[in-house]
Amino acid sequence: MKLINKKNFISIVCIFFTLITCGKLLAEKLSNFTDKYYTDNIFTILAFSVLITLILSVHYYLQKFPFLLVFAGQYIATVGIVFICIWIHGLLSSNAPTAYLDMFWSITIPFFAGAIVYYICFFYQIKKANKILEQLQ
Amino acid sequence: MKLIKTKEENLEENYLELHYDTIDEETSAVLDRLRDTLRYIEGTFEDKKVTVALTDIFYIETVDRKTFAYTKDMCVEIKEALRDILEEYSNIGFARISKSTVVNIYKIKKLQGDINMRVIIFLKNDEKLIMNRSFKNEFYERLNKLQGRKTK
Repeated sequence: MKLINKKNFISIVCIFFTLITCGKLLAEKLSNFTDKYYTDNIFTILAFSVLITLILSVHYYLQKFPFLLVFAGQYIATVGIVFICIWIHGLLSSNAPTAYLDMFWSITIPFFAGAIVYYICFFYQIKKANKILEQLQ
Repeated sequence: MKLIKTKEENLEENYLELHYDTIDEETSAVLDRLRDTLRYIEGTFEDKKVTVALTDIFYIETVDRKTFAYTKDMCVEIKEALRDILEEYSNIGFARISKSTVVNIYKIKKLQGDINMRVIIFLKNDEKLIMNRSFKNEFYERLNKLQGRKTK
């Protein structure tokens, strides 16, 4: 089943954008941090939401390949695209000294958290299916 | 409708016998379900025509545009395509697990996941099949439907 399609693409981008922005604002509120580059970061979040939705939508076409390979490929592609964007941004204006490291963690944490959730759901589904199979015997 | 089970020793084959005056709705529903379950499929095995009960089939596979049904001790070539089999027999426990394989859910011993998110299906005849990730949801839906039917 194709979960992300042309019809719901924009809605999913909007959901990602809202969740990430809310998370960012919440983290800022809790740590009393004032974002000097608020506008820039909002657009970065939008670009990141589009990118992540795009990469997840490709997942459907890669289901015949081993999961670890697909996961690694998608992770490397995302990191690569984001780093290229930072590099281009660095040519036009100055980047923060920790820009690459910050973006690395911003991608890595959600990616691995997502993978862990996916793994847990996968093995839970199997456990549930085994129970049903026992009942059917 | 009453169900009477009688144990008979040395019986060659189990059988069901229905005693009725008129076939009511309840009996008719039971008969419909039995009709589905006790269906047979024709095919060829070692150049001989054979008839196999669907309940004896472990899985059905397409190889080089030919369809084979695997029982405990036979590999029968059948005429039906996988698509037709799914259309006709999915309600009696046949579910697709890959582009070329359909499994009989009642012949599955257990499922096991691997690190690559593939589901390994262990059959009661000790064979192993691999479920493709893209057919996982379809398979679980079919399993849930069968469970729903059983608990009704």
